[in-house]
Amino acid sequence: MNTVRMVAVNTFMETIRNKVLYNILLVAAVALLLSLSFGDLSVFSRAQVMVDFGLATMSLTGLLLAVFIGVGLLGVELSTRTVYGVLSRPVSRADFLVGKYCGLCATLLLNFVLIATLFFVSVCLMGVTTRIEVLYAVLLLSVEMALVVAASMFFSTFTTPTLAAIFTIGFYVAGHLNDLVNIGVEQQRNPVWRTLLQVLSYLLPNLEYFNIRTRVVYGLAIPDRFVMEATTYGMLYIALLMLLAIAVFDRKDL
Amino acid sequence: MHAIHVDNVTKIYRKGFRGVRVPAVTDLSFTVRRDAITGFVGPNGAGKTTTIKMIVGLAYPTSGRVMLYGRDAALPSSRCGVAYLSEQPCFYAHLTVGEMLRFTSGLIRLPQPAISGEVERVLGTVELGHCKKLRIKELSKGMQQRLSMAQALLGSPHTLILDEPMSGMDPPGRRLFRTLMDRLREEGKTLFFSTHVLDDVESVCDDVVVLQQGELTYSGQVRSLLERGFLGTDIRTGEVDEKCREALLSAGCRMHHHSETNEWTLFVPRDVEPGSVIRLLYEYRIVPESIVNRSMTLEELLYKQGLEEKR
Repeated sequence: MNTVRMVAVNTFMETIRNKVLYNILLVAAVALLLSLSFGDLSVFSRAQVMVDFGLATMSLTGLLLAVFIGVGLLGVELSTRTVYGVLSRPVSRADFLVGKYCGLCATLLLNFVLIATLFFVSVCLMGVTTRIEVLYAVLLLSVEMALVVAASMFFSTFTTPTLAAIFTIGFYVAGHLNDLVNIGVEQQRNPVWRTLLQVLSYLLPNLEYFNIRTRVVYGLAIPDRFVMEATTYGMLYIALLMLLAIAVFDRKDL
Repeated sequence: MHAIHVDNVTKIYRKGFRGVRVPAVTDLSFTVRRDAITGFVGPNGAGKTTTIKMIVGLAYPTSGRVMLYGRDAALPSSRCGVAYLSEQPCFYAHLTVGEMLRFTSGLIRLPQPAISGEVERVLGTVELGHCKKLRIKELSKGMQQRLSMAQALLGSPHTLILDEPMSGMDPPGRRLFRTLMDRLREEGKTLFFSTHVLDDVESVCDDVVVLQQGELTYSGQVRSLLERGFLGTDIRTGEVDEKCREALLSAGCRMHHHSETNEWTLFVPRDVEPGSVIRLLYEYRIVPESIVNRSMTLEELLYKQGLEEKR
């Protein structure tokens, strides 16, 4: 456990000293500021526009973080051989991978905390009232991004950083289109395609499960039970992806 | 129990999309004694780095097994007390020298209160005490190599596995490294290091393992290998009369006259007993001025061996 913590702390330090993180945060801050002026231009209420923009910004920055930093982390370790210094010590590959993942998730969390704080401060300054559901949306967004980071970690164990980035974006897009795949399963008459689509819909996570932005924007109720279920679903998927990543990385010649 | 036991190891890499088989080492077997300094020699591409990677658990054998102190080298626990220094220094560029060493100290589970003292100690050993707060990317290559060594020395490991530790080092760095090796030998550490510099092996190592094209060509004591390269003895004398010359030639010696000084060099081949030649000289009242053994250097020996292997 100590080695996991050590690797996680080092990864966290590595990412927070990375200029890419600050660029992403700058993008988030600009987007949030823009939402203040868009509120006046939109036909929707300022609160709706701000919540929508705020959550969309968090989603976008989370994805950028997962792709640009998440994918690069393991790839850079392998290409610069810094991994040799760690894994030639009494450190298991599983501990190393879990440590890297935890460190990156900590950065992701910090990123969300900063953007959420900026969001809530700007909302308060504009005198707009928000609901507890916004926090639920942030929580589920965090789980979704933690899942995307786990996927990026998994892809990085067996392919190049560029391909891993492409796969991660593909995973994110396909995960959000999973509902469409299910519709395809129902409408497809060819049994081969139907089976293939069915397998695909089972393999891919349904990332729309974590997207409650529209419901939050329109002030619809979000049951606590739903949040719990979605969080558990995300955690199980993360565990599965990390187990797969460990299985692949454990057999890899470095 | 041996420190390292490489048992019938074959490593085949698969390259490219079609997975073309590229053998790195074939049926390799050797052992490394505890508390001895063992050199690992071979030309580029002989499979040294691959073998070292398998020893420290960074790569796995295709067949055969690698054991560290009787335990499978793939197990992380087998690497307790074992330090590895890679061919090129590899550090996290975002860390300072002190942070890097603290991080490594954590990985080897040094007790928290002991870490600061240990970091100071190893930095002092490699003469980098003044660089603790510098970012690693600000260090020169030579300094980074010293830092690698400091990293390897953390926690006083009983075994050090070093992959070409002196490559690209400047003369002061090499001198420091040789001093360190001597100190580690005095402390009874086990050292296994790959190198191209055969002089280092000859002067520092107890044992040597020689690889060529992924196959073992020699494993054993450096002394035994050098004995194989013993050519004979050169005896320098003053004037030698006709009768004595005939007697020496019939005893199997070869002779060379230095006309400027009127001196003779007798070469006694390895199959002729030098004692009998010296006795013969005394019979003719000739006192040898110098007696020197003539041997091949390790480099000549390994080169010759390489040629023999090819034949």
